Amino acid sequence: MRPSWLISGTSLRLKFAVPISIMVVISTVIMSGYLIDQQSDSIGRELESRAETLIRMIAINAESGVLFESKYELDELLRVLYQFESVEYCRITNTEGVLLSSYGEMGADATEVHDVRLRGRNQAMLVSDYVLCRIHNHLMYVQISPITTEKKQLSRETLGMAAGVDKSLATPTILETIGFIELGMSTRTVDRDITQAKTAAILLTLMVVVTTIIVVVFTVKAVTKSLTELVKATDHISRGDFDTRVKIDQQDEIGHLARTVNRMAESLLQSREEIEKYNRTLEEKIIERTQQLEDAQAQLIQSEKMSAIGQLAAGVAHELNNPLGGILGYAQFTLEKLRKNVPGATTAKEIDAYIRHVRDIENQARRCKTIVQNLLRFSRSSRGVEFEEVDVNRAIKETATFVEHQLQINRVHLDISLAPDLPHIYGNAGQLQQVFTNLIINAMHASGPDSVITVRSKFSPALGEFGGAIELVFSDNGHGIPKENLNKVFEPFFTTKEVGKGTGLGLSVSYGIIKEHGGEITVESEPEMGTTFTIVLPAQESCVQTDNLENKDRQQTS
Amino acid sequence: MDTSERHSILIVDDEEIIRDFLSEVLEDYDLTLACDGDEAIEHLKKRAFDLVITDLRMPKVSGEEVVKAASDLRPNTKVMVVSGYSSLKTASDSVAGGACAFLAKPFSIKELFREIDNALEQKQE
Repeated sequence: MRPSWLISGTSLRLKFAVPISIMVVISTVIMSGYLIDQQSDSIGRELESRAETLIRMIAINAESGVLFESKYELDELLRVLYQFESVEYCRITNTEGVLLSSYGEMGADATEVHDVRLRGRNQAMLVSDYVLCRIHNHLMYVQISPITTEKKQLSRETLGMAAGVDKSLATPTILETIGFIELGMSTRTVDRDITQAKTAAILLTLMVVVTTIIVVVFTVKAVTKSLTELVKATDHISRGDFDTRVKIDQQDEIGHLARTVNRMAESLLQSREEIEKYNRTLEEKIIERTQQLEDAQAQLIQSEKMSAIGQLAAGVAHELNNPLGGILGYAQFTLEKLRKNVPGATTAKEIDAYIRHVRDIENQARRCKTIVQNLLRFSRSSRGVEFEEVDVNRAIKETATFVEHQLQINRVHLDISLAPDLPHIYGNAGQLQQVFTNLIINAMHASGPDSVITVRSKFSPALGEFGGAIELVFSDNGHGIPKENLNKVFEPFFTTKEVGKGTGLGLSVSYGIIKEHGGEITVESEPEMGTTFTIVLPAQESCVQTDNLENKDRQQTS
Repeated sequence: MDTSERHSILIVDDEEIIRDFLSEVLEDYDLTLACDGDEAIEHLKKRAFDLVITDLRMPKVSGEEVVKAASDLRPNTKVMVVSGYSSLKTASDSVAGGACAFLAKPFSIKELFREIDNALEQKQE
């Protein structure tokens, strides 16, 4: 990421400082140029005006000197003139160009210029003129002015007027040029003044430029410093650090912007806190709802189990009543015999009979115990069920004992064929028995009298990544499931049984249990041909090898 | 009980313990044992019995069919049903099917003898 000063600081400073400085420099230079120009003009005009005044003053005073060609008078005049500052030379000529008096060095160039200029003028020149020429490598301001005298013009008319015919008419006079005065003034002083003015102006310009640049740079820096801080702060905020605050306490636009950014960060922080709070509440609600759903599901599984137990009650009663019948009978029988026995007269045969009967009682009591244990294991709450190693074959056999009687009542035969080398799985025997019971009872309901339900277990050994699985197949030759219902059988509350005969949860709960065991349950059915449910459960790797012997033993004993 | 006139009883039950117990208790009678309905019907076809004591729920052929076979083959033979699946409906169904008595498992020896005596008395009448 680029540093923030590179993003905005320098570039913004340059953006502000460079154009402002350039503008200030240009305007100062233009202004100075204009001022210098004005100053030069003013100095030049002053020189011109002084020359004009001097030459006019001399021209008036030189009239008599020229008329009488008095060199002394003219020299005196020029000497006074020469004393004025910047006067390089001065001279007086008559109209024929004869030099009457001169003062100072004029140089050859000036003479040439003078001659050229004078040749261009007629004798009647009455006003002064000037020329700017270069003499001795510096500019010289040369002013030429005619020296005039007044002459009375006498004519018939004018003579009449003079005789008093018409007093209103005065004798006309004409101005006649009698000579020229030429004043050469050096522009050196003027040039110096101008140079000084220029230097002053340039210095002033430089000073103004430097001051301006310094002021601009500092001002821009001051402004961009706040801006850089703002940019940094907004950068932090944009990255989610809403605790960032801009520390600018100005009463200008930037201060306003900073306060706005702070308010924005504050509201963003509040929003985020609200969102987080909302998220937390949402999570809590989700957890709560999930818990409720899990509870509800557990209750469903439990109620479905209880329903299955209810259905099995008859079978269980029969299972228990048979051994209980033996126990009660033999106990009463033996008791009766013992009561009638005369002490000391018991034969060995009688004793053998007693032992046999009591052993029968013991055996049948054990049988009852086993049935009750199975029932307890089956009915154990599904909440917090613990997974352990389960012998699926044994679970099937135990299930068969529960349903056997029910099947007998309905004259449905259960054909069980179990693979002898079936490995254990990791699961819950009670839950699995619930599934098996459900499948067998469903098959029974679908089958007519004298039909057969087959239960098969098979082991598919590990192959590559496939870790080995147990396949259980429950088949009946009952009325089957119509195709349109085949994909609905695992849906909760789907039942084709009469109201009150089935909860519609059996297969749905079974599906959930098999999924919890990491297995799959699928159904195939052909109407009027029968239905086959196939359960595939992953085998416990550790159980695959170790339990084969145990299984064989169990198989032999069973 | 007059042993010279021993009553013949056919005991039908798939439960070995029940068969053993009954044969022990009723040793004074002329007993024949059958472990399922099929075997019982075969015995009934061969000879008559005074009394048939049968379980209801058995594999293959059920007790109901034994009751029916007895009344068909030997109308004079009394049939007593003994079942672990005791409900009013089972009892009434059994009686309706032709049984003279219904005894629920587990039963006491006293009850057993009472029902047997009743049945045999009914037969003699």
